[in-house]
Amino acid sequence: MARLTLDDVTKVYTDDGGDDIVAVEEISLDIDDGEFLVLVGPSGCGKSTTLRMMAGLETVTEGELRLEERVLNDVSAQDRDIAMVFQSYALYPHKSVRGNMSFGLEESTDLPDDEIRQQVETTTDMLGISDLLDRKPGQLSGGQQQRVALGRAIVRDPEVFLMDEPLSNLDAKLRAEMRTELQRLQEELGVTTVYVTHDQTEAMTMGDRVAVLDDGELQQVGTPLDCYHRPSNLFVAGFIGEPSMNFFPGSLSGDTFSGDGFDYPLSGATRDQLGDAGGLTLGIRPEDVAVGERRSGERTFDAEVVVVEPQGNENTVHLRFADGDEGPQFTATTTGRSRVEAGDRTTVTFPEDAIHLFDGETGDALKNRELPSNRAIDAFVSN
Amino acid sequence: MATHDNTEQVTDTTDEAVGWESKLRYFLNSDFVRSAPYWGIPFVLMSIAVYGGIGYNFAISFTDYEGLGTPDYSTLDLEMYTQALSSDAFISAAQNNLVLLVGFTTICLVLGLFLAVLLDHGIRFSEKFQTVYLLPMSLSFVVTAQLWLWMFNVESGILNLVVTTLGFNPVDWLGNPSIALGAVIFALIWQFSGYTMVVYLAGLQSIPDDQFEAARVDGASIIRTYLRIIVPQLKEASVSAAVVLMVFALKAFTFLYALVGRYRPPNGTDILATLMVRRAFKFGEWAYSAAIATMLLIMALGVIGPYLYYQYKQGSL
Repeated sequence: MARLTLDDVTKVYTDDGGDDIVAVEEISLDIDDGEFLVLVGPSGCGKSTTLRMMAGLETVTEGELRLEERVLNDVSAQDRDIAMVFQSYALYPHKSVRGNMSFGLEESTDLPDDEIRQQVETTTDMLGISDLLDRKPGQLSGGQQQRVALGRAIVRDPEVFLMDEPLSNLDAKLRAEMRTELQRLQEELGVTTVYVTHDQTEAMTMGDRVAVLDDGELQQVGTPLDCYHRPSNLFVAGFIGEPSMNFFPGSLSGDTFSGDGFDYPLSGATRDQLGDAGGLTLGIRPEDVAVGERRSGERTFDAEVVVVEPQGNENTVHLRFADGDEGPQFTATTTGRSRVEAGDRTTVTFPEDAIHLFDGETGDALKNRELPSNRAIDAFVSN
Repeated sequence: MATHDNTEQVTDTTDEAVGWESKLRYFLNSDFVRSAPYWGIPFVLMSIAVYGGIGYNFAISFTDYEGLGTPDYSTLDLEMYTQALSSDAFISAAQNNLVLLVGFTTICLVLGLFLAVLLDHGIRFSEKFQTVYLLPMSLSFVVTAQLWLWMFNVESGILNLVVTTLGFNPVDWLGNPSIALGAVIFALIWQFSGYTMVVYLAGLQSIPDDQFEAARVDGASIIRTYLRIIVPQLKEASVSAAVVLMVFALKAFTFLYALVGRYRPPNGTDILATLMVRRAFKFGEWAYSAAIATMLLIMALGVIGPYLYYQYKQGSL
């Protein structure tokens, strides 16, 4: 178990034409001993490349990768004492479950055979697959293969686990099950874990901390709730959360934010946080949009329901400002029992304590939402 | 008995009810008959040309047929087989055949695997390389034989040029009975290792990269990864390449015949096929040759049989 540090790690590929392609740019991360860090981002953002650099499957172009005090840059994958779970599982098709799991121990340690056998059996017991020991991967279901792949990493008792979208090949129900199981295992074993995913449910629920990547650059590192409530920029705000945050591009005129189809008055305190930014983007999470509460006031607008997606426990309502014919659409979540239908005319309120404001050019967050008690969230997110 | 009678009666009544004309029409309209021209002609041709030939050969091998005239089928015995099995020429030819079969196949497989692994392991422009190695395969045995005849030449062959430059005495590659078979095997390997390489390369390239990566992360060195993870996954490629090579080893007759241009191959390289042809067409010992041919066929079936069984078990037949 150990602390993994990335110091300005950069990966540059050179394509056939001799051009440089920057896949990962100056990422600095400090992953604590026993921590579960989730690397999340859209496809092609460099998260897998980052993970593969940690594993030693890609070289580090610049920067430093350290395990405790040991610099890993030039240490080959074989000698890193890091185990990896692949998206495809990469089980050896000609070996039995036992063979798959003991291979790593046979190659990386000089343990006697009976000790290897015993360790493999302990691990399969822990994963509940001891009855599959003599089967070949081809005879296992997807979920069982997944467990074997996990077992292959666990049995080696490595310093660090790396997981590359390990649940993406499972069906939804199994995935939810394995998510909890993985968390339980990681807590039990206390091994430093880096987990790559594009699924933001996994990002929100599994990690101690989340690192959001986009276009090879680190956008934000923080607890899941921190990233959710206090996104550091437009990208994080839009990426974390489902359905994603509503954005309204606009500009500041005096103390009013004027967007396409609506004008939103800002209080003095909010106005002061914005400095002299010209373009602005206003963001609000769907669950913060209050629909049809017949409130009146300057932060309430007439709107028309475009589409309703009922999900049982809640409805996702797609709306449009009533004034602007072709104005922007936005979404709101309402409780599942509220009756709204497409075509309804209603009102929407954007409470001022729930809005986020981002710089129109850089996308940096200028103001994040207020929470009932910031201290309470601080206490919650720092856990 | 009663039941039996009943069944017969039922059949009778059906016969009467349907009538032979409609039965015939039904038969003529069946898929079996209507598709007959398509499978029937090849079937008949194959039966006569191949299986008929094998059957005729088998029949002759039990007679004493020799020289001109017609075979006499009145006394059939295994005399030709016992005679062959007790003759030194047959034994040594069979031995050579076995050496050729095992030596040529093994070395070709190992060499092909080695080349394929090297190529797969990242020499760039591997497609051009593939063609270079596969080129000898496209040559006919006759060309290969002539080419190697020149190279093996005692006085002016390039091999002896190398040998004498290195300070050794020239070697009579094909004239020395103890190394002639080795020289023949060498030339055949030259021709066929490219083929095994391509078969293995296809197998290697179907193995996903993450197998290598998983093994690397598991702590295995490159050589151990190949030995323990990659090569065991090439079992199917090995089996199919081995069968093709063994079949070629059995029909190396063409190569040996082309090497010398007569039925008597260089001393020490006589195999069953050359022995059989020489006995038959030079000495007219038809029955004796037929017996050799039958035994050669059994050897070939011994090679193909397990492969077919393997394929059958895999469900690919």
